[in-house]
Amino acid sequence: MLYIILAVLCGCITIISMIINSHLAIRIGVFKGTLINYIVGLTTTLLLMIIVKSSVNLSYSSFSKIPVWALLGGMIGVAVVASSNVILPKIPTIYTTLLIFIGQLFTGIIIDYFMVGFISKGKIIGGLLILLGLLYNSNVEKKELIL
Amino acid sequence: MYKISAVFIGILIAIMVTFNGVLANYTDQYQSILIIHIVGLIAVIFILVLKKEKFIITKNIPIYLFTGGLIGVLMVFLNNLCFNFLGASLTLSLGIFGQLILACFIDHYGLFGLSIYKFKKKKIVGFLIILSGLVTMIIY
Repeated sequence: MLYIILAVLCGCITIISMIINSHLAIRIGVFKGTLINYIVGLTTTLLLMIIVKSSVNLSYSSFSKIPVWALLGGMIGVAVVASSNVILPKIPTIYTTLLIFIGQLFTGIIIDYFMVGFISKGKIIGGLLILLGLLYNSNVEKKELIL
Repeated sequence: MYKISAVFIGILIAIMVTFNGVLANYTDQYQSILIIHIVGLIAVIFILVLKKEKFIITKNIPIYLFTGGLIGVLMVFLNNLCFNFLGASLTLSLGIFGQLILACFIDHYGLFGLSIYKFKKKKIVGFLIILSGLVTMIIY
C-alpha cells in the first residue's frame, strides 16, 4: 500500500516538475533548462550522499557486473525531453496524456513479462480500463471546446 | 502521423524507468541516482555542443525555477523504489493517475499562474473508470 501511494505521489510531483521546467524553458531554452536541472540534481544527490554518509563504492568488480544498458537511463531521460520538445507542440494537448500512456502501458506490460515471465491478464484488463477512462475524459474536454 | 510519435515518448519513459530501476538494484538508491544524473548531464552537454548553443545564461532567473532538478531527484528516487516493488506497468499507471488528479486541481484553481479551467463533473465518470482499472491491476 505504501508503494502504491508513493507511485501516485510521484505522478503528482511529475506534473509540478513539468510546469517548472516549461517556465524555465521559456526563459532560457529547453536544453539549457535541462542542463540546469541536471546540475542542480547532481549537486542535490552529492549533498544527500554526504548527509546520509553513503560511500561512493564503485569498485571495478561491482561496477563491471552492471549491464551497460542499465547505465543509459539518464541518457534516455534527455531523449524524452528532446523528443517531447519536438513532438508535443504538434499534437492537441487533450490527447497528450492518452497517447503517452498508451506507449507506457504496452511497453510496461512487455517489460513486466520479461521480469516475471508471464503476462498478467489483470494488468491488460486494468490497463484497457484506464485507457477507456482517459478516452472518456478527453471526449468530455473536446465537447466543451466545441460548445 | 505525429500522434503516433507521442506514443514513442511513452515507450521511452517506460524504458527509462526500467533501466533506472534495474540500476538501483545493482548499486543502491543514491549511487544509481548519481550515475543517472552524470550520464544525463553528459548527454545534455553533448546536445548543447551539437546545437552550438552558448552555455552563458545572462538572464536573471527566479530561484524557484531551479527547483526542477531537486524535484527530479525525488522523482527518480520514488520511481526506482516503486519499480522494484510494483513492476513497470503498475508504477507507470499509478503515476499517470497522480498526474491527472493534480493537473485537474491545478487547472481548477489556476495555480502556478496558469489559466483557470473549472473541473467538469462529467469527468468524475472517467476517473472512476480509471480507478477501477488501477484496482484491477493491483488485485490481479
